[in-house]
Amino acid sequence: MTNLCRSYVEGGRKHPVLEYLNLDVRKGDTVALRGRSGSGKSTLLNLISGIDVPDKGEVHVAGLNLTKMSEHERTLFRRRHIGFVYQAFNLVSTLTVADNVRLVLELNGVAEKQAAGRVAELLKAVRLDNRTDSFPDVLSGGEQQRVAIARALAHGPALLLADEPTGNLDDHTATAVLELLDRLVRSTGGTMIIATHSAKVASYCSRVFELRNGNLLPVSQ
Amino acid sequence: MSVPVLYRASFGYLLRHPWQLALALLGICIGVAVIVAVDLANESSRRAFLLSMDAINGEATHQVTGGPSGVDETLYAKLRTEHGIRNIAPVISGYVRHQESTLQVMGVDVFAEREFRNYVIAGNDEQSVVVAGDEGESALNIVSALLTTPGALLASPDTARQLGIDTGDRIFLSANGKQHEGVLIATFPPGQQRQLDNLLVTDIATAQQWLGMQGKLTHIDVRVNDDDDAILERLQDALPQDVQLLTAAGRTSATLGMSKAFMTNLTAMSLLALLVGVFLIYNSVAFAVLQRRKLIGVLRALGLTRAQTFSLILVEAFVLGVSGALIGLLAGVWLGEQLLHLVARSISDHYFVVNVTAVSLAPGSVIKGLLAGMGATLFAAAVPACEASAYSPRLAMMRSVLERRTGEALPLVAAVGLSAAFLAMFVLALSGDNLVAGLVALFLLILGFALLVPIAARIASAWLAPAVGRFLGSTGRMAISGVIASLSRTGVAIVALAVAVSATVGVSVMVDSFRGSVSDWLASTLQSDVYVSVPRGSIDPQLLDDIVQIQGIEHHSTVRRSWLETERGRVRLIAVDMAPGSYAGTTLRQGDPADIWPAFDNAGAVLVSDAYAYRNDVEPGDTVTISTGNGDRAFHIAAVYENYDSNDGAILMSRRTYDIFFDDPRVDSLGLYLSDAAIAERVMGDIRSISTGRQSLLVNSNARIREMSLDIFDRTFVITDVLYWLAVGVAVIGILGAMLALQLERARELATLRALGMTPTQVGSLVMLQTAFIGLLSGIAALPLGIIMAWVLIAVINRRSFGWQMDMTVDPAVLLSSLALALAAALLAGLYPAWRAAKARPALAMREE
Repeated sequence: MTNLCRSYVEGGRKHPVLEYLNLDVRKGDTVALRGRSGSGKSTLLNLISGIDVPDKGEVHVAGLNLTKMSEHERTLFRRRHIGFVYQAFNLVSTLTVADNVRLVLELNGVAEKQAAGRVAELLKAVRLDNRTDSFPDVLSGGEQQRVAIARALAHGPALLLADEPTGNLDDHTATAVLELLDRLVRSTGGTMIIATHSAKVASYCSRVFELRNGNLLPVSQ
Repeated sequence: MSVPVLYRASFGYLLRHPWQLALALLGICIGVAVIVAVDLANESSRRAFLLSMDAINGEATHQVTGGPSGVDETLYAKLRTEHGIRNIAPVISGYVRHQESTLQVMGVDVFAEREFRNYVIAGNDEQSVVVAGDEGESALNIVSALLTTPGALLASPDTARQLGIDTGDRIFLSANGKQHEGVLIATFPPGQQRQLDNLLVTDIATAQQWLGMQGKLTHIDVRVNDDDDAILERLQDALPQDVQLLTAAGRTSATLGMSKAFMTNLTAMSLLALLVGVFLIYNSVAFAVLQRRKLIGVLRALGLTRAQTFSLILVEAFVLGVSGALIGLLAGVWLGEQLLHLVARSISDHYFVVNVTAVSLAPGSVIKGLLAGMGATLFAAAVPACEASAYSPRLAMMRSVLERRTGEALPLVAAVGLSAAFLAMFVLALSGDNLVAGLVALFLLILGFALLVPIAARIASAWLAPAVGRFLGSTGRMAISGVIASLSRTGVAIVALAVAVSATVGVSVMVDSFRGSVSDWLASTLQSDVYVSVPRGSIDPQLLDDIVQIQGIEHHSTVRRSWLETERGRVRLIAVDMAPGSYAGTTLRQGDPADIWPAFDNAGAVLVSDAYAYRNDVEPGDTVTISTGNGDRAFHIAAVYENYDSNDGAILMSRRTYDIFFDDPRVDSLGLYLSDAAIAERVMGDIRSISTGRQSLLVNSNARIREMSLDIFDRTFVITDVLYWLAVGVAVIGILGAMLALQLERARELATLRALGMTPTQVGSLVMLQTAFIGLLSGIAALPLGIIMAWVLIAVINRRSFGWQMDMTVDPAVLLSSLALALAAALLAGLYPAWRAAKARPALAMREE
C-alpha cells in the first residue's frame, strides 16, 4: 500500500486515522500491526481487505489494485483472496462447524465433493474432526476460533487477516491457537497480517509494526 | 417530573429503535382499530334503528298489531267510541323511495298524536294541535294543510335538505310500484334531528293510498301507565281474534334481535384481528425484551429484583398499549365510518331498513377498544416479562440459553395447544346451540392449533433443511436453520401469519360452500322463466290477471311474504300458489314428496325451513301454532325444506290454506312458466308495456334473478373480506417486525457474511429465503387449521347463528391461493429487511461488541 490516508468526520470535525501509510508485504510474510485501542488497526485491515476504501493512496493485493475496484468487485476479490479471523470468532450460529467451513468454499464455487474433502482435511488439521456436526454455541472459545481459522484458510486465500485473534481467549488457549495459526499459515506458504496490542502475539510474526498517531512505525523487520 | 434512570434506559432503547416501536404501535393500533370500527358500525346501526323506532313509537307502551294485512281501521274507531279507550293512535307505516334513497313513511291521525309523538303535536289542548312548524306558521294552518293538501308531508330539516326540497316544494315518491306526489308543508322543530332523519310523516289516508293499504292500519299505538293494568285488560277483551296486543319495546327488540347473530359474527371476526394483533404485540414486546437481555442481565447483576424487572417490562408495555390503543381508537373511528355503510347495507338487505350515515361515538365502544388494546398488550407482555424476570444475571447474557429454553418449552406449549383443542371439542359437544359458546370453542381451536405450530415448524424444518441444502447449499441451510434456530423470534411470526391465513382459508371455504349451496338452491328453486314483483309492495290484482293472460305464459305461481308477530318474535310466513313446475324446485330434507305435497296443498299442512326447524326445535310430525284471522291455530308440519332467503327461518303455506285463515288477497311476486315456443324477452316486454302507467314492476328473467340474489350474497360478505384482509395485514406487519428484529440481532453475522465475500444480493436473498420459508411454514400450517375453521363456521357457527345447513366443499384453488397468499405476504414483509440486510456493512464484523 502506498500513501494510504483515512479519516473520519465526527461532529463536523475531521479526525485523521491513517496518514500517508506505506507498507510492502511479500508472499509468505507474517506481519503484526500493534497499537493501542483506536489507533487504526482495524481500519487498516478494512482497507487491506477492500471492506473500506481510503481517502487517498492505493492498496494492491495479489497484483490487484483495490482502490480502482467497484464495491461488487471488491466483494468478489475478498471472497477469493482474503481469509478473516476475528476476535469474536463471528461464526454463523445457525450452521454446523463443517458448514461454517464449507460456506466459503461454496461461495467460491468449489465442487461439493472437493469441498467435502477440503473441509475434512481442515477440521482434522484444527483437531475438530470429531465436532463437524456441532453448532458454534456449544463449542468453547478456543474451539470456535479453531473453526474460524479453518474457515479462513479453506479457500487458500492470498492473504489472511486476523484482528486480535486471541483477544477473547485465556493465555493457554491463546498460545495453542496462535501456534496452530502460525503452523497452518507457514505450511501453506501463506501471508498473514495480524492486528494486535499483544507483544506475545506479535512475537509469532516475522515483521512487527506499530501504528501510532496515524503512522506506521517498524518495530522489528 | 423526572423519569427514573431505570425507565429512561428502558424507553431509550425503544426510541433508538423507531422501526420496532412503530411496528409494535401499529400492531396494537390495527387490532384496536378493527375492534372499535366493527363495534361502532354495529352500534351505530343499532342506535340508528332504535332512534328511528323511538321516533316512530314515541310514547307508545303497547301496540295492537294484525296479521299479514294489518289491522282493520274500523277497530280503532270502535276502541275509541264503543270502548272509550282514549290513549290510542292509529299508525300506518312503510317505505317509499325517492331516487336511490329509501325513506320511512308514517301516516298518523294528527288529532290522536298529542299523547304519542311530540314532534308532530305541540300544545296541550285540542285547539293548539301541531306542530312541527316554521316559526310564525299557524299550527292550525299546518293541521289543515296536512288534512286537506293531497300528499302533504312533514319531515326533518335535514331530511328536507337531503331530498333537496324546501317547505312548499313538491317531490315524487315511489311506493307499491306507483308514483306519488308529495308536498312538504312544514319541517319538524329542531332538537330531535337524528331520530327523525329519513322519516316522512303524512296523514293516515295519504299513507294508506301510497302503501296500497286502504282501510287498513299497520298497528294501533297504545299508551298505558305502568300501574294501569285494568285498561290493558279492557283493551285485550275488546280485541278481535285476528289482532294481538304486544309491548312496543318487545316488538322493537324482536326486530333488532334478528340481526344479533349477524352482529355477533362481525364482532367475532374483529376479535380474530385482535388475536392476530396479540401475537404481534407479543412478538414486539418479546423482541424488545430479548434484545435487551444483556441490559437486563447487567441490571440484575447490579441488584434489580425479579419483581422490579417484571414491572419494568409491564410498565413499558402499558405505555405502549395506551399509546397504541389511543391511535387505534382514532383509526377505528375512521375505519368504522368506512365499514358503516357495509354493515348498514347488509342489515337492510337481510333484516330491517336502517338509515345511518355517521358513526355515533358510543362510550362503550371506546372503552371496549381501549381495554382490548391495553389488555392484549399487557397479556402479551406478561410472558416475556416473566421470562426476563426469571433470568439469572449470568444466563441473561447467553442467547443460546434462550433458544434452548424455547426449544425445551415447545413440547409443553404443544401439550397446552392440544389441551385447548380438546377443550374446544368438549365445549362444542356440550354447548347445545349456544352461539357464544360456539365462538369460544372456535377461538380455543385457533389458539390450540396456533400453539402446535412452532413444534410442527421445527419438525418440518428438520425434514426440509437437508433437501433445501442439496439444492441451495449452505445459503439454503442457513436460511432454514436461521428461522428455526431463532424460534423465540420467528415462531410467533409464523403463528400470526398461519392464523391470519387460516382465517382466509376458513372464511373462503365457508363462503364458497355457502355460495355453492345458495347457488344450487337458487338453481332448483328458480323454476319459473320470468319473475314479476313490486319492491316493498304487492301486485295490483287487476294487473296480475292481465299479466297471466299474456300469450306464451303456460302456468304461473304466486308468492305472498308476510311477517307474523308474536310475543316470541317475528316469523316469516310465505304463502305460495304453486305452478306444476314449482314443486320440483322445493327441496325437501326428508319424507316422501308423494305424501307431503297433497297434505300441503289440500290438508292445511305447512313446511318449515331448515332455519325455522333448527331455531324452534321442531320436525316433521310436530305442529306449529300461528296467530290467524280465526285466532291461534296449530298447523301440522309436513316437512322441512331447504331455504336460504330468510335468516330467521320461514313457514311455507299453500295459498289455499292462507286464504282460509288470513284476509289478505295480496300477491308480492309472480313466477311465470312459458311455453316452449315463447320468447322470454318478448313476454317481459309485453308485461312492461301493459304495466306502464298502472304500476312500476320489477320484471326479471330467471338468470337475472339468480344473478341479483348472488349479488346480495356477495355484498353480505364484503365486510368479512375486509376484516380478514386486515388480519393478514396485521400478520404481514408481524413478519416485518420479526425479520427486522432478527436482522438487528444478526447484524454482525450478516456483516461477517459480507466480509467473507457474499454479495449484497446474496445476503438479501438469504433474508428473502428466510421469509419465504416462514411464509411456506405458515401457509402449510394454515391449511388444516383453515379447513377445521371452515367446518366449525359451517357446522357450528352458521348453524347456531342462522340455522342454515350447507355442504362443505373445499376447492383446491382456495388452498393453493392461500398458500400463495402466505408466501406473498411473507415475501412482501421480507423486502425491506432484505434490502437492509443487503446494505450490511462488512466493517461491522471487525468491531468488538
